Amino acid sequence: MYAIEITNLTKIYKTRALNKGEIKALENVTLNIEKGTIFGLLGPNGAGKTTLVKVLLGIVSATSGSAKLLGENVKNYLVRKNVGYLPENHKFPNYLTGEDVLMYYAKLSGYEISKKSKEIEEYLQLVKMGKWRKTKIKKYSKGMMQRLGLAQAMIHNPEIIFLDEPTDGVDPIGRKEIRDILIELKNKGKTIFINSHLLSEVELVSDKVGMLNEGKLIKLGTVEELTTSKEIFEINISETLPDLVVKELKTKYTFQINNLKISLENANTDKVNKFMDELRKLGVTITSFNQKKESLEDMFIKSLTETKN
Amino acid sequence: MKNILTIAQFTVREALSRKIVIAFFAISTFVILLFTGIFAFVPFEDLTGMIRMQNKEVINISKEIVKMFKLFVIAPLFGGGLFLAIFSASGFIPNMLEKGNIDLLLSKPISRSQIILGKFLGGVLIVLANIAYLIISIWLLIGVKFGIWNIDFLSSILTITFAFATLYALIILIGILTQSSVLSMMISYLIFFIFSPLLSARENVAMFTDSKLTKYILEFLYYIVPQTSELGSIAKDLALGQRVISFQPLLVSTLFIILILYLSIIIFDKKDY
Repeated sequence: MYAIEITNLTKIYKTRALNKGEIKALENVTLNIEKGTIFGLLGPNGAGKTTLVKVLLGIVSATSGSAKLLGENVKNYLVRKNVGYLPENHKFPNYLTGEDVLMYYAKLSGYEISKKSKEIEEYLQLVKMGKWRKTKIKKYSKGMMQRLGLAQAMIHNPEIIFLDEPTDGVDPIGRKEIRDILIELKNKGKTIFINSHLLSEVELVSDKVGMLNEGKLIKLGTVEELTTSKEIFEINISETLPDLVVKELKTKYTFQINNLKISLENANTDKVNKFMDELRKLGVTITSFNQKKESLEDMFIKSLTETKN
Repeated sequence: MKNILTIAQFTVREALSRKIVIAFFAISTFVILLFTGIFAFVPFEDLTGMIRMQNKEVINISKEIVKMFKLFVIAPLFGGGLFLAIFSASGFIPNMLEKGNIDLLLSKPISRSQIILGKFLGGVLIVLANIAYLIISIWLLIGVKFGIWNIDFLSSILTITFAFATLYALIILIGILTQSSVLSMMISYLIFFIFSPLLSARENVAMFTDSKLTKYILEFLYYIVPQTSELGSIAKDLALGQRVISFQPLLVSTLFIILILYLSIIIFDKKDY
């Protein structure tokens, strides 16, 4: 059984405009996420990432298709007992204190705790908010709200945690702390679903990554699979290559040349060595050489460009 | 039921965080202190006795004084108290529906109907507490001072709260439809201060027209618009120990509350946030 099963999920928003237009926020999305893993969902603004999470949490209803959490249809609200959620730009009632917020949302999740419960202390300490527990949250900064939001999503010990931009407004040290918390949760067998614009963040913690664009899932795989499939070799040379030589080399190799920098794509070590031998034969001096791994960001931008084209 | 109570509990908490509810309590306390002062310093004992009128009707002076005091509490409480209650409750739904807040609430294992019922219960409870605080205190003061322990006076707590519940159900529906606290408040005030009194006197209004259609429309509106004016009259009659002419407004208002809440739940259930 998967933690999250999504089958042919489509969501169409009907606009209120006179022309009665439709916006396809999700189109036939199919995705399965295994238990005890961290899944990162990437995509540009308006790709449908938040809509997907909202459908899974019953905040938005799907137009067609189905979705299950822990084997239960998401239409059954009781399944959310085992789910934690940190929405983007969340708002807690500002008359509550930090400990009130945890108590309130734990209660709403069906988890009865009091202000004196050890869980409140434990989770506030975990997100480094222990000393602010009795302060009204209207005095909290954005980063503090984000930390409290994370504690809120974990307080009832859920099996699945959805995090929408979890490091938004958090300083670099805080981000590292949040990453550590996520890895600790994963080690405890929890399933974590992250929506983020910060690709480097997702790359650091995710076991599997999906990429959504215009409501369609255009990429899915492990970070390794998505980033190492195309290795790039960069060769820096001392002088510009004559056009004729470039033309000759291009008949045998796929590469890009930018002044004194040559980028070889889809080449294995053998091919790169042969390429460098040919350069040397032509009297070209190689000043440096490095193997560049495609980052998630490179893959993201490339995929978007490919989809546009 | 547990979920409804949790939502209700935090609605009460939200209400208490608002200055308007505190002001309501402060005004009630002021009235209680005022009555305590009047009862302590004015020698009502000298005024007790009977007056035999020319038509041989006997009037008990202390009973008349008590009636006057009760009216002094009930009339402003029904008008002013409900005015403040509507003002404070009109924001409950729009606040809940704010982006970032509603997402979190709906992600919890609570059905949407439980959320609506919890909000309704919480709003009604806080108003009930406010009204009960004032009326029970006045009832005790009158009982101690005059030895008149009229239980019917206490029933006005429920009648006034019920009038609020009728309007609050409408506030919830408008809140869900428009997410506007101002609009909820304005429509409630319009019904409470203008439409309901006007429809209550529909027979007098109808005298100005010969049109049967207008009369039918007025009659139709009378049964679909919350009958808060009639509920006010029932509260007054009960407080003064007078016979209530008709309990029909209570029945119509109960049906109104059920229907409006049901409609609110259906609409809320279908909405995406």
